[in-house]
Amino acid sequence: MSSHPSRREFLSTSLSAGLALPVLGATSAMALETHSGPQSAKPAAPVKLDYRTLGRTGLKVTTVGMGCMITSDPSVITRAADLGINYFDTARGYSHGNNERMVGSALGARRKQVIISTKSHAPNKEELQKHLETSLRELNTDYIDIWYLHARNSPDEVPDDQIEVQLKAKKEGKVRFIGVSTHGGQQQLLPWMVKKGVFDVVLAAYNFTMDTSMDQAVEAAAKSGMGVVAMKVMAGGSHRLKPGDPNLKRLTQEGAMLAALKWVIKKPGISTTIPSITDMDQLDENLTAMSNPLTASDEKILTAHLDAIRPLYCRMCSKCDGACQKGLPVADVLRFLTYADGYGQFALGRERFLELSAQHQTIRCGDCSACTVNCPHGVHVSDRMARAQELFA
Amino acid sequence: MKKAAVLLLSVLLAAGVARAQVALDCHFAPGWEPSGPVRQYTAENLYDYKDGGADGYLIYGFAHMSTIDCKSNADTLTIDVSVMNDADAAYGLFTANRDPKMPIAKIGMGGQIQSQSAIFAKGKYYVEIVENADNPEADHTTVLKACVAMMQQRLQGRETAPEALKWFSHDNLDTVKLIPESVLGLKLLKRGYVAKYKQGQAFVVLEASPESAAEVFKKLREHFDGASPAQIADEAFQAKAPYLDGICVFRKGRFLAGYANLPDAPQACAMAANLAVRIP
Repeated sequence: MSSHPSRREFLSTSLSAGLALPVLGATSAMALETHSGPQSAKPAAPVKLDYRTLGRTGLKVTTVGMGCMITSDPSVITRAADLGINYFDTARGYSHGNNERMVGSALGARRKQVIISTKSHAPNKEELQKHLETSLRELNTDYIDIWYLHARNSPDEVPDDQIEVQLKAKKEGKVRFIGVSTHGGQQQLLPWMVKKGVFDVVLAAYNFTMDTSMDQAVEAAAKSGMGVVAMKVMAGGSHRLKPGDPNLKRLTQEGAMLAALKWVIKKPGISTTIPSITDMDQLDENLTAMSNPLTASDEKILTAHLDAIRPLYCRMCSKCDGACQKGLPVADVLRFLTYADGYGQFALGRERFLELSAQHQTIRCGDCSACTVNCPHGVHVSDRMARAQELFA
Repeated sequence: MKKAAVLLLSVLLAAGVARAQVALDCHFAPGWEPSGPVRQYTAENLYDYKDGGADGYLIYGFAHMSTIDCKSNADTLTIDVSVMNDADAAYGLFTANRDPKMPIAKIGMGGQIQSQSAIFAKGKYYVEIVENADNPEADHTTVLKACVAMMQQRLQGRETAPEALKWFSHDNLDTVKLIPESVLGLKLLKRGYVAKYKQGQAFVVLEASPESAAEVFKKLREHFDGASPAQIADEAFQAKAPYLDGICVFRKGRFLAGYANLPDAPQACAMAANLAVRIP
């Protein structure tokens, strides 16, 4: 038996075994009375809030937080806080700073009851320091609860001089806790952060489509005492898909988004999640993830979605590197094909294909009697390669 | 036959994309050279470049981005050109990213140049230029202006802001933004312009037809408990609601519009009536 079961196997196993409740931080629940909608005075429906401890910060966070990047109106943020969500995420770079301003204005009077995280993508320590002062001003606060270095995907992208700026800000009381946000190279970055020992929190991309090695990286980080916040929990959501894409229907119907959120919440190493919440309806739907655990039906939806994307979409796990007997860079060609098939960008896909070596361009998968590439995620490699060769060569 | 159809489709797609792609270089001022190749991004891989910020582009109707890094001695500058689905989407993205404390300059449909960055929208193109300076206090306005001038000349398309912006009163106006989804935080109001004032906010949402607008209006009215009718345009209602305070919504043909966040509903209706007169 493989030490890295497929996601489908994992889903089935966790379902049949009935995964234990979160081990990190006691899970507590609180029922609030709320309206069924923002403008309704109809009978209230109970909202159950689940809390976990965010690693060594000791902060008690709701398992559903709020990513504010694409929130359409500040009233959605205000209402989320009123309903009890207490973790709100923004970034200096979102909408050129306008998002921080909206979050600050929406949470104004509720500042002491909520946890605000923001991030800086500053390329150097001078700009990082400037970003901190600007974030404090735009958020209309004198402290930031969690301050992340934004989108760092390898240890090289987390320079010591920027960590020093973070630690200094923490010492001065301008930030309470520091962290790094990442959604690439996480299997390497998370262990490095644990070893580094200075970070309180990591904000990591994490969802049901990922390799199980990511589960292990998250668990190890959580066990070390680092708080783990999950983003991209909806696996890219529906905004990445164009009308007509069959996956768009799957993601926007059948409760797939909610199932994806519940899948992440069920993971014991995750303290909170920050799904992007656009409007009141999404807020109401996401709130239910705290009171309705992942069900067999949810598992089926996610498994079906994985099955739908499995033969087509590369997860960029690099496990096929060097596997083709003729030396084709399989992951690259799959990506080029996605440009054309998934997003109608034929020219871009062909342009990239023609950048391959002349030798690679002339390879025809139909000439091989058997394919030596066996994708661990179920991508039908030889079929996809043949399609790319037919389309681009 | 099927193969020929696929080939034809591919050629048409290629032609469309080729038209959308932008010739990018660093020839906006002497001494500037590319420090790498032009990079291309689609909805699929924009996350690789913009991280979570990618969502901010995708919701506005993003098609493609070309980007180049330029270098002159120790200075570096990045030019991002996003091709959006249409000019309104490009202007919408500009309204989301502009500094509300600064005036809008006449660059394409609208733009802003600051000391270390510049943005503007022209036609279906949204352009961002960022100087990556070691010194965050340095002023790079001159080189940014040169870069904006070059890009503005190269990009073809509409140079006037969307018509809907003229309908909003300019008295005590703070900002006007295109909200790509869920105006006022309500999923029913899919996409529209919102004008924020010192007090309250006005909105205009365009539906596909008067019939679909009437259907949305009906659902919207049901959404607000205690809503009462008002006499504006084709149909209207007023209500007092949590988070939106005094609100007044009217329908005029394909448009759904109104005012919210005023102290009481009659006041919202008085403002809404003035807005209705300006909507054609």
